[in-house]
Order: sequence, then C-alpha cells, then structure tokens
Amino acid sequence: MTERISKYQRFKMMNPIIQFFKYIYLSIKVLVIVAGGHGGTRQVN
Amino acid sequence: MARIVVLGAGISGHVAASHLRRKLSKEHEVVVVSPNSNYQWIPSNIWVGIGRMKSKQILFPLAPLYKKKHIDFKQAKAMTFHPEGDQTENKPYVLVEYVVGDKKGQQEKVTYDYLINGTGPKLNFEATEGLIPGQNKAYSVCTYTHAEHAWENLEALIKEMKQGKKAKILIGTGHAKSTCQGAAFEYILNVEQELRKHKVRDMAEITWISNEYQLGDFGMDGMLLSYKGMTMKSHEMIEMVFEDRGIKWILGSAVNKIEDGLAHYENLDGEFKTETYDFAMLIPSFSGHGFKAYDKNDQDITEKLFKGFMIVDADYTPRPYEEWSVQDWPETYQNPSYNNIFAPGIAFAPPHAISKPRKSKNGTDITPAPPRTGMPSGITAKIVADNIIDSIKNGKESLSHKGSMGNMGAACIASAGYGLTSGSGVSITTFPIVPDYNKYPKTQGRQLGKTFGEIGLAGHWLKLTLHYAFIYKAKMKPFWWLLPE
Repeated sequence: MTERISKYQRFKMMNPIIQFFKYIYLSIKVLVIVAGGHGGTRQVN
Repeated sequence: MARIVVLGAGISGHVAASHLRRKLSKEHEVVVVSPNSNYQWIPSNIWVGIGRMKSKQILFPLAPLYKKKHIDFKQAKAMTFHPEGDQTENKPYVLVEYVVGDKKGQQEKVTYDYLINGTGPKLNFEATEGLIPGQNKAYSVCTYTHAEHAWENLEALIKEMKQGKKAKILIGTGHAKSTCQGAAFEYILNVEQELRKHKVRDMAEITWISNEYQLGDFGMDGMLLSYKGMTMKSHEMIEMVFEDRGIKWILGSAVNKIEDGLAHYENLDGEFKTETYDFAMLIPSFSGHGFKAYDKNDQDITEKLFKGFMIVDADYTPRPYEEWSVQDWPETYQNPSYNNIFAPGIAFAPPHAISKPRKSKNGTDITPAPPRTGMPSGITAKIVADNIIDSIKNGKESLSHKGSMGNMGAACIASAGYGLTSGSGVSITTFPIVPDYNKYPKTQGRQLGKTFGEIGLAGHWLKLTLHYAFIYKAKMKPFWWLLPE
C-alpha cells in the first residue's frame, strides 16, 4: 500500500466542516452541468 | 385520443411514463408494460452489496403508484413487435405475455399510437462461460437480489477472515466488451472500506480486473479533468486512489471463463492467464433482448428495428476509430423506419464504442462498450416524452427536443465507502459524455471546467442525497418534476 494521499489531504477530504461547504459547492456545480442544458450536434440547413 | 405504450419501468421507462402522464390530459392513455413489479434505484445496489442498505430501501412497488396516477400497468414481458399491425389488427401493436396473477402465460396485443422502448439491457451472463451470479464464488450487483446475495457471501467470507483466513477478492468486468466499469469501481472501493471497518483489510488481497486499456477509462476513452486546480488524466486520478487503498489492477483483460474460484482471461498481449479468488464481482456484458419484429404480412422485419439494441437516428455506417464523429450519436432516439417508435436510455443501439477499440494479439476485440448510466437514460427519456407530447398537442410530428450524448453532461458520483462521517465518494462530471474533438480539440474532446473530479466525504453525502431525491422523484411526490433528471 502506497500512501498517495497525504495525511493533510486526507484530513481535508474527511473533515465534516470543510466537506459541508464542498457538498454545497459540488451540488450546485453538478446541477449546473447536468441541468444546464443539452441539445443536438448536427448542423441543420 | 392517443395511446402511448412504454416498455420497461426502469429509469428511462418510468421517467418517460411519469412525464407523459403529468403533461397529457386524461383522455390520452399511458400504458406501462414491465415484467418487474418494483421500481429499483439501481445506483444504490452497491450499498445493498455491502450490507449497508436493505433492498426495501431502494425499491417500491409500481402497481399502487401507477393506479393512483392513472397509468395503466401490465406486469408482462414484451414478446414481438408488430409496427404495422397484422391481418386482423390494423393498429401497430406489441405482443406481450403476462408474468403473474390470473393472466400469467396469457398473451395480449397491446396496440399503440406511440411506442417507447425502455427495456434496457439484457444482463448477458451466458456470454462468459461459468459466469452465473451466485455460482463459482462469482457474484453480481446488477440487481438488488444479486446484490443481496453478494453481501450474504461477502459477509460469510469476512467471518472466515476474522478466523484467520487469507482471501483474494476480484472485482471488475467479466467480459471483453462489458460496460458499467463505474459500478464495479464503486463496489471495489466500498468492499475495501468494509474490510477496514471489520479490521480484516490486511487479510485480503484486492484486485481490479477490467477490459479497460487504462484505469479511469470507464468506457468513455478516459478524460482529462480538473482536480484541485490541476489538469489531470482520469487514469492518474484512479491510480492514485487504487494505490492509496492498496488495490492491485489487471487491465486490457477479456475474462472468458469462470470456474470455482478461477477467472480465466486473455490480455491485450495475447496471453492466456488465470486469476484465483475467494470472492468475485464481475459485471457481465450487456446485450439486446433478442426481440423479433414482423410486418403486416407476418414477414420478419427485425433488421428494421433492431441491431442488437433498437435502431434509432444514429449513423451506423462502419468507420475506423479515427473517423468517428460526435454527430454519429442519436439526438431524438426515433426509429428511422417507424417514426412512432422511440428507444431512449440503454435500449438504443449505439453507433459504436466511445473508447478506442483494441484487439489482442490473437485478434480478440477487448473494448469497453459505451456506458449509458441513469442520468443520460433519464434525460433521453424526457426528450422522447416531450417530443411525443408536442406531436400529440400540435397534431403533427414534432422533434424539437434533442439531446445527443455528444452535447450532454453527466455526473458519476461514485461511492468510495459508506458512512455519514467515515464515507467517501469520487465525484466525476463530464461534458460532453461522448468527446467532441472538433469543439474541444486541446482537452481530449471535453470542456475542462465542466469535466472535473473531487474525492471526499462530500461525495458520499451527495450520492446519499441523490438516492433520496431520485426515489422521491420516482414516487411522483409533490413537485417531483422540479428535480432534474
């Protein structure tokens, strides 16, 4: 097992307070990307 | 009055039926035909497979909901398609056979004005010799019953490990052309965390086996994504996670035979190898259901409707990988031969893979099939429903709603462990799903700001939120339609 994620990074990843704000940020970002629209790709003449 | 028949009550079938019912007046009939009695929120099967959720938490019965919402429900399976009717029936119909109750075994011609095929994939376990859920120590999490069974046996293995048994766990894909690597990815990380929680992690060797050329391919040719202010390739991110969790990996593998505790596979170098295991979870290949179609004179016209899955408005011209284009992908999911038949979700035949096709030195095609997860399934089903609604209301065909997977974003909120304070998730979004190399030539076909990754507890909370939100939506509770697909 190689420690690829440092203890400090792990602390940030698992800290409930930091992650609460991350959760809000992620929810909005995911919503914007997914609900932000979709459409076709073909040119219509 | 129009009659819309929806085949299947999974994510795409249920989304289409619920939007049709909400937006069409009661004079129009919405009929759902599905052999399943329950709706299941498939993404949470992962948690059933590690014993953290009961199956009753991820499903609910369809019949009472459909009765309340005035959707006609037939618990039956589709048998044959008759898009022109036949000598005795003028209207197009689908021949169905009831699977339960007094009508069990009875067949009925279900006529329609519009048909939505949301039958999803057939879990093609038989394509891999010996890959049978629950046999040869190999399991699946593709359905809630499979996931329950997987947990029963994993739990038994954990008990043996507590007694001192060393165990090998193998998770990944069980066929050269499997898709849904994301589900296997979630499961391997959840199993790893459960072993740590049970304090037996050091007793287990966990291995990822996959048909992907690189980690993080996910059947989407991998991606270049933003991660903590850096631009990173998805395989680098997944390698980091696997190395950190002590998970080994075998890539470019076509599992071709399963025996008791033995997975035989061929790799891209053309070598035939065998991996031993005490517990395996391998995703099978997906296939169409093998439906047949007939014209008015009972002549076989299956090739007009099916190419494995259903033929839609994609460009199926065979071309080399270098000539694949995002424009090959369908936009309206309408069958070109019969314009009142649509196939959203997993039911449509993709024009080709998304990942670069690769062959082993022996010529075996080892390429992940393109994934079509819950999010695009829901979005494409809504597009189809909206076009049918417009066509009915306008009295003429309307196809103004379009949604190509080449112009659509998706979020993969992959659980990496369950627990309100100890859980984790790998959140990856991608835009578009099918890379558009002309539009985004310098970023591997995707828009960087909208293609990003995050790892942490927030991802677990987000997946849990989606679980409750989408079950609320599926139950058609007040204002359900405000939740996006």
